Amino acid sequence: MSVFLECKKIKRTGFIPTFLSGGLLAAAIPVLNMAVRSENYVGLSDTPLQILLDANWQMMAMLNVLLIVAGACLMYHTEYADNAIQKMRTLPLKESQMFFGKVILLSAMFVVVLVIEATSLAFCSFHWFEVYNDFWLETGKTLGYSLLLTLPSVILSMLISSACKNMWVSLGIGVVCVFTATMVPVKNFILSIFPFAMPFQIFGGTDAERTLQFIYVALIEIVVIGIAELLFIKVRRSFE
Amino acid sequence: MNIIETNNLTKTYADFTAVSGINLHIPKGTVYGFLGPNGAGKSTTMKMFLGLTQPTNGSFTIDGKKYPQNRVDILKEIGSFIEAPAFYGNLSGEENLEIVRKILGLPKSSVTEALELVGLTQHKKRLAKKYSLGMKQRLGLASALIGRPPILMLDEPTNGLDPVGIHEIRTLIRSLPEKFDCTVLVSSHLLSEIELMADNIGILNHGHLIFEGMLDILKQNIAAQGYPTDNLEDTFLALIDADNKQRGVVR
Repeated sequence: MSVFLECKKIKRTGFIPTFLSGGLLAAAIPVLNMAVRSENYVGLSDTPLQILLDANWQMMAMLNVLLIVAGACLMYHTEYADNAIQKMRTLPLKESQMFFGKVILLSAMFVVVLVIEATSLAFCSFHWFEVYNDFWLETGKTLGYSLLLTLPSVILSMLISSACKNMWVSLGIGVVCVFTATMVPVKNFILSIFPFAMPFQIFGGTDAERTLQFIYVALIEIVVIGIAELLFIKVRRSFE
Repeated sequence: MNIIETNNLTKTYADFTAVSGINLHIPKGTVYGFLGPNGAGKSTTMKMFLGLTQPTNGSFTIDGKKYPQNRVDILKEIGSFIEAPAFYGNLSGEENLEIVRKILGLPKSSVTEALELVGLTQHKKRLAKKYSLGMKQRLGLASALIGRPPILMLDEPTNGLDPVGIHEIRTLIRSLPEKFDCTVLVSSHLLSEIELMADNIGILNHGHLIFEGMLDILKQNIAAQGYPTDNLEDTFLALIDADNKQRGVVR
């Protein structure tokens, strides 16, 4: 029910158009890249998907995370702008339910963005490369992995937004985190486990053991950040 | 029978005590006027009842349920309006109430009923952020009244309303215990306003409860102490002034 309510709350906020246009913008990157310099890529020996991701994913991932930060800010801005959150807190509804409802909705919108991006990657593969059997399986694995590795940044963005009454503060923190993450070397495991840096990882080309390590870390981060939010809700009530 | 009871309820912020060990007794099915100057601790007390802020000390029970163990159960019984109207500006008045309705699990007709009760039916499709202050106040009241909760907590509900609106809302509040069989806790800093609505009153000053009981008893006490009783405003001011002097507080 919380997710349903959150869907109602985002009406007229521009949340859905933002995600759709953001998804289209990210999806345009590989298409434009291939359109202007396909000769640099078509001769490479990797699978088409791997070539496309190596060439474009860093930029696409950065747009994705920025979209997540903006989405989280927007969702909590509707709560704080006219003090609606106070009304919600006086209703028989746990604040944590509202938080996780927003996390689920934001994750669902991110899935929509991933689907738009997958369509674009499929178009590029079919248009500039030869079609091969395992394309859809490889795409599914890659985007599933990206989704899982992006969830910690979804929940952390939401935690930051829930903590800041002023949307510009949470947006500023989020943007600083995203740009810090872009400076993290993708091959450095310790630095790459920063929640905002995880979405920059690519499934293909990473050995199985490292892939598993990233999956475990993502799951741990989701749980830890979720618990941190629960504690934060409790502690904040004592200081208000 | 008291529906709300507090026991030495206290709220302290760093070195400032907003509410100091108050013992309230709010009888069921009455309008209880919570009176005090600005900053007396009225809103803080109501916020504690609603779980918006945690008491530093003391405890309270609402309809026999203890806080914090039964927080959600307590909230199921309370309709509230605290300090200022709280709403989603991007949604219409009707959509705002629809969200509250869904959370409370009420029938669809309750939205229409609440809108009618506060006179907002005509403007239900308009975005809440485009409402005038009085309309926002009415929307806040509608979201408190929706579903006819057994307990209503209204913090200065007539703020921002025009004289006609004030009269309407006062009449509505006065009629609620009989109409909906509910208990109303209404705060104000105007004794004259509370007199028109409340059966019992509690007067707060600097976080201390300086009087609790029926208005007639207050008038008798005040007269016995030699303060004026002809004009309620003067009575209230004299009472607060005397308490301030006793505590050595300068306003």
